[in-house]
Amino acid sequence: MLFGLLETFNNSPLLLYISVIGIACAAGGIPPMMERKRRRSIENALPGLLESLSDTVGAGRGIQEAMMEQSRNVQGHLGTLLSETLEESHSSSFEAALSAFAAKTRSSQVQRVMVLIETAIEQDAPLQQILADLAMDYERLNDLMNQREEELLGRGLLIVLFVSVGLPVLIAFIVGLFAPSSSGFQIDSFNQTFSLFFGAASAIALGVSGRMLGRFKDALWWMPLWIALSMGLYLGAVVMIGG
Amino acid sequence: MRKLDEQREILYVIRTLDVLLSSGVGLEAAIHTVGSGGYGIISEDFSGMMKRLRKGNSRGLAPELKAMIKKAESEGYRRLLNTMYSNVTQNTDIVETLRKQGVRMENERTEAVKKYIEELGAVPETLLSIGMIGPIILAIVGLVPQILGDGAEAIVGAIDQGMINSVVQGGLVITLIGMMMIGLKAHTKDPGL
Repeated sequence: MLFGLLETFNNSPLLLYISVIGIACAAGGIPPMMERKRRRSIENALPGLLESLSDTVGAGRGIQEAMMEQSRNVQGHLGTLLSETLEESHSSSFEAALSAFAAKTRSSQVQRVMVLIETAIEQDAPLQQILADLAMDYERLNDLMNQREEELLGRGLLIVLFVSVGLPVLIAFIVGLFAPSSSGFQIDSFNQTFSLFFGAASAIALGVSGRMLGRFKDALWWMPLWIALSMGLYLGAVVMIGG
Repeated sequence: MRKLDEQREILYVIRTLDVLLSSGVGLEAAIHTVGSGGYGIISEDFSGMMKRLRKGNSRGLAPELKAMIKKAESEGYRRLLNTMYSNVTQNTDIVETLRKQGVRMENERTEAVKKYIEELGAVPETLLSIGMIGPIILAIVGLVPQILGDGAEAIVGAIDQGMINSVVQGGLVITLIGMMMIGLKAHTKDPGL
């Protein structure tokens, strides 16, 4: 059956090449998605951690002690990473532990916060106020990022589904119905042109959708697969409907 | 691109400078810290500025800041550089001004995100409209000679299939460009989160 399906697209080697590339690239697209999920969970927990640190420092405790305590209380990736780093840092300095923690999270938000905390410690600045300000700043930033994600995710998916799936099937239906190759219509070159168009339109749709959500580079991994799907859907539907 | 990068990093730079300067760090040391990395294009600018100052290729911090104001593309970055310039030349209260700027910029960013979400609301429908109308019309144009057969020649005279193919291909390329132009809005109006 698989070979039969491949035989159907014998006249479109580009589609077969892109399909193979698409499957390979899709495997590369999964790690960025997982990494993003992990990073966002850390970033969403960051304001809570900073607020707790500010309260504890305000109660007269040192920042190191406050962090130790919070590492036991904070749930999720952030708490686990923090406690791991602080446990490993017995043989080194607290500053080194903060830098190691920031590097392990792989989050620019956490890295910026840690640099600021380090500087504030070095300069003997009022930590309670700085931590409270940072907590508020990053809470607002995360709220905005989450709002953007929630409101634009649906629209992004809609664009991809409309352009990559709906459009090729619709045009294939029209072509297959009014100019079926079983009735002698010579539409090979026409189909090649349109399948290329749908591939390109699909790439544009995915790029726009990825850019809307602020993850264009991650979307690039999925581009060949969607291009292949779009081209395959058009050519397959034309064959199915038009014979 | 530069404007977008500046907009993305400016609020973080203001917050960092605020913490550094209110902790007692000098302006040059604060610029050096930001220039050491982590703030994209602004780090590059500050690092270049410090390099020139260290080498003695510059007439001082104030002229460097003034030159940078001309180079800045976003309003927020220009305002920050202006505040720094005023502090260097007139010894103004930079910390207080930075705090006010930070609050103002944060409000602007919130508004920008809301506006971005609102403006992109119609993108799926517009993309689909252009992406659908173009190919439907062009599919009909491409198939008309075959569907009508000799009838088509009777109506419009001799039809050159090569020309029809060129029209269809050109039309599809224009449709793609149209889709790209609509999609470009998602990039150019990005609030820089």
